[in-house]
Amino acid sequence: MHKIRAARTEIGNGLRDVPIRTKQAPGLVRPQQEGHMPRTICSTMGISLCVMLGSAAAAQAQLLTHRDLSVATATTMAMAAIEACKSQGYNVSAHVLGREGQVVVAIRNPAAGFGTFENSMKKAYTARTTRAPSGKFAAAVKDNPNAAQFFLTNFVAAQGALPITVGNDVIGAIGISGAPGGDKDEACAKAGIDRVAAQLR
Amino acid sequence: MKMITIAGGLALLGAFTASAHAQLLTHKDLSVTTAVTIAQTAVQTCKAQGYNVSANVLGRSGEVLVAMRGDDTGPHTLENSMKKAWTARAQRAPSVNFANAVKMNPTIGAIHLTNMVPAQGGLPIMVDGDVIGAVGVSGAPGGDKDEACAKAGLDKVAAELR
Repeated sequence: MHKIRAARTEIGNGLRDVPIRTKQAPGLVRPQQEGHMPRTICSTMGISLCVMLGSAAAAQAQLLTHRDLSVATATTMAMAAIEACKSQGYNVSAHVLGREGQVVVAIRNPAAGFGTFENSMKKAYTARTTRAPSGKFAAAVKDNPNAAQFFLTNFVAAQGALPITVGNDVIGAIGISGAPGGDKDEACAKAGIDRVAAQLR
Repeated sequence: MKMITIAGGLALLGAFTASAHAQLLTHKDLSVTTAVTIAQTAVQTCKAQGYNVSANVLGRSGEVLVAMRGDDTGPHTLENSMKKAWTARAQRAPSVNFANAVKMNPTIGAIHLTNMVPAQGGLPIMVDGDVIGAVGVSGAPGGDKDEACAKAGLDKVAAELR
């Protein structure tokens, strides 16, 4: 009941983009609102139990800290990839996807085939979700054409996309399509990542 | 002499027929660099004013040329910027015109079409009176502010739009 009221209060205060995530152990900390005393369940418990619960809450309730691509970095990456291919005589389209596979930047190259826009997205999606170059998935499908993932939406068994990593964390992916050969697409994708390598940390 | 006249007349006739039916359309369209510059300038202009926005640049057929999700924007802004641009492209006019039209007539036919949105923030991209695409911006607190950033994007490439 308290939680529902708190949620309403937040919305009423116009905090639109703040998702209401209460990962804390239920009832442990009540939200302060409407002039209530900030009572906690601790006040009705013994100290040791309270401490125990507190550490359990810390383990479960800590928020995740993520590094994510800025639109500036993503755009630089995509354009560097397009230019790298262009300088070799290939017109390509590019997608840079973020941590959840969401489009951060999508660039259709009108000089490239119109299927390249979609394909660059799917390659990037494949690289992001498998956390590996999409060429690896292509090789896996060659070995096993019934690979279950092959039947999921947006998976494509084609080289040309690379995961974007910070340390061991995959924060997104870049996909390229349009060059005559997935290896050439991938080389341009790599050129894009290399351009912003200093920012990926 | 007579033969030459007839031949000339036939040639003329042929030319007219060709121009009426067979001539191909000549279009100017946005290049990838121009489109990216428009979107990026729009996003950066709003950012400089403290507004995180997303931007879409669509081409002549409403196809997405650039979709750009701004930093820390609401998740709906990418879609909304596309729809504003679509509306501007389809109506060949700023999307605010459609917003006003819907205010006057909430059952206006075009409101039921896919991707039409009665919201300010989309501008057509013009070359000599020809609409070659549109830019849409979403995320600022007010469609007028979105539109100002869209316009900044167009202004940046004004020299290329001819």
